[in-house]
Amino acid sequence: MGNIRQNTAALYTLEQLAEGDTAIHGLHPMAKLLGTLFYMVMLISFPRYRLGMLAPFVFYPVLMLSLGEIPFKLVGKRVLVALPFCLFAGLSNALLDRSPMVFVGGVGFSGGVISCLSILLKTLLCVSVVLVLVAVTPMRALTASLRRLHVPGVFVSLFEMTYRYVGCLMEEVSSMSAAYALRGKPRLEMRHMGAFAGQLLLRSYDRAERIYHAMKCRGFGGSMIGETAGKMSAGDWFFLLAVSLSSALFRFVDIPALLGGVLC
Amino acid sequence: MHMADALLNPAVGGVMCAVSAGAIGYSVAKMKGDKQAEKKLPLMAVAGAFVFAAQMINFTIPGTGSSGHIGGGILLSGLLGGPAALLTLSVVLMIQCLFFADGGLLALGCNIFNMGVIPCLFIYPLLFKAIFGKKTGMGRLMAASALSVVVGLQLGAFGVVLETTASGITELPFGTFVLLMQPIHLAIGLVEGIVTGGILTFVWKSRPELLDSVQESAAGVPVKKTVAILAVAALLVAGGLSLAASGLPDGLEWAMEKTAGTAELEAEGPVMDAAADIQEQTALMADYAAPVDSEAASTSIAGVVGSVMTFVLAGIVGTVIVVVKKKRVKA
Repeated sequence: MGNIRQNTAALYTLEQLAEGDTAIHGLHPMAKLLGTLFYMVMLISFPRYRLGMLAPFVFYPVLMLSLGEIPFKLVGKRVLVALPFCLFAGLSNALLDRSPMVFVGGVGFSGGVISCLSILLKTLLCVSVVLVLVAVTPMRALTASLRRLHVPGVFVSLFEMTYRYVGCLMEEVSSMSAAYALRGKPRLEMRHMGAFAGQLLLRSYDRAERIYHAMKCRGFGGSMIGETAGKMSAGDWFFLLAVSLSSALFRFVDIPALLGGVLC
Repeated sequence: MHMADALLNPAVGGVMCAVSAGAIGYSVAKMKGDKQAEKKLPLMAVAGAFVFAAQMINFTIPGTGSSGHIGGGILLSGLLGGPAALLTLSVVLMIQCLFFADGGLLALGCNIFNMGVIPCLFIYPLLFKAIFGKKTGMGRLMAASALSVVVGLQLGAFGVVLETTASGITELPFGTFVLLMQPIHLAIGLVEGIVTGGILTFVWKSRPELLDSVQESAAGVPVKKTVAILAVAALLVAGGLSLAASGLPDGLEWAMEKTAGTAELEAEGPVMDAAADIQEQTALMADYAAPVDSEAASTSIAGVVGSVMTFVLAGIVGTVIVVVKKKRVKA
């Protein structure tokens, strides 16, 4: 069950990274959240053939990853998860849309190839910025911003608690499947799945019951007492404005063409 | 089944986020009316974490050697009831998106709708409870689970096709896409349905009081009300999606056209004019027009050079920062 261990490790790696103390980590979570969302809306609003204009969008994730001291190889691992479906869609574009559209040095590229590349680049960028967001923002800061944005309290509490339980249960699954493997079958059979998962569920339920009683003893009254983040400083506003304005600029002005025009 | 950001346009993403946010709001309101809600919260969190962990368990599908895993909408509904299950599943999808890059952030609305709203708010009350409600039994529970999962997954897969096609990023014709998606998800649904049935029957055998439908077995399902909600939601979704797909170049350009009267920002002044001139001559593709003559060919080279330069520049900046930081740590 290397799969489970890997995922548990991924969860803890992100948590450790989020505890860093770079300038990026110090930014207000709300500024990072809103900046990321604005960047993504600008990025995915490009029509399918605008490959060239995507290039400047690389700057934001590169800057954030390097300033936030996040290893670049994490991006690669996460892209693999999102890739299969995007690759399928991209390749079908390349196969179906064959009319030549751009000529570079006498070689024609079809519209499908352009849109395929643009899908792949967008996938890479979207995955990177979401990674950047969670890798430089601790969970409690993220949920505090969600509360500030008036997401219902029940929902945010549920989010926090589920996130905490995931780590617990993955360890439980890991030990249960180790026990199963020791009885002789290396891989779980489908007819055993109902009892296996059912057993896991019952154990978890009992555990939840115990946790609930413990919480009740400590005065739990239906909602979590969340940390409230302070106000955004001038620096946070500057960051938010810089991200938003640069994304808007890159969206509407074709910088690579300007740059190429100057050079050629 | 998890949709990514890159295949979506902001209009479709926005519409689906609004629809899903509405469904979540409705479920939160429902939970507030429930006196047991406070006690339910830890159970919901555990059930969510359970679905998450269960998705990591790969089991062998007999006769094929390939492996499958479970999705969870119907499973959670069977344990917690529709509205609570929707909240729990939304949280699971959020964690998958943020911490494992499974499904996009702006695509969260689509994913919550396809995998949460459809099974929890529609299939569970309308189909599952019709089979396993007033009349109970092992066979009925198994049939209800399997059938609900299959139908839910078919509708969800169809949702993926609709949303992707409406976004206009892929070239796949609607018919081909449907023919690809539905059979694959029929097979997945059958396996998932049987496993879901297995888990629910196991729980029913050992701890029957845990199942949601047993807790409120006396209360009938207001079918008329549910059908009305279903119809309104279908209209909203269909209307929103067709609006998004109806020949609008994209949401942003549309919004700009409305506000500024033109799709492209017009800048004035000599510098801007010069810049616009250069851009006009060098733009890689002036709004879909394919450059074919030799002059255009040379200008598109400029675009490629510019893009490559941009990448190189970004790479240099990143490397410099990393190197400087490392040196500082050593010093």
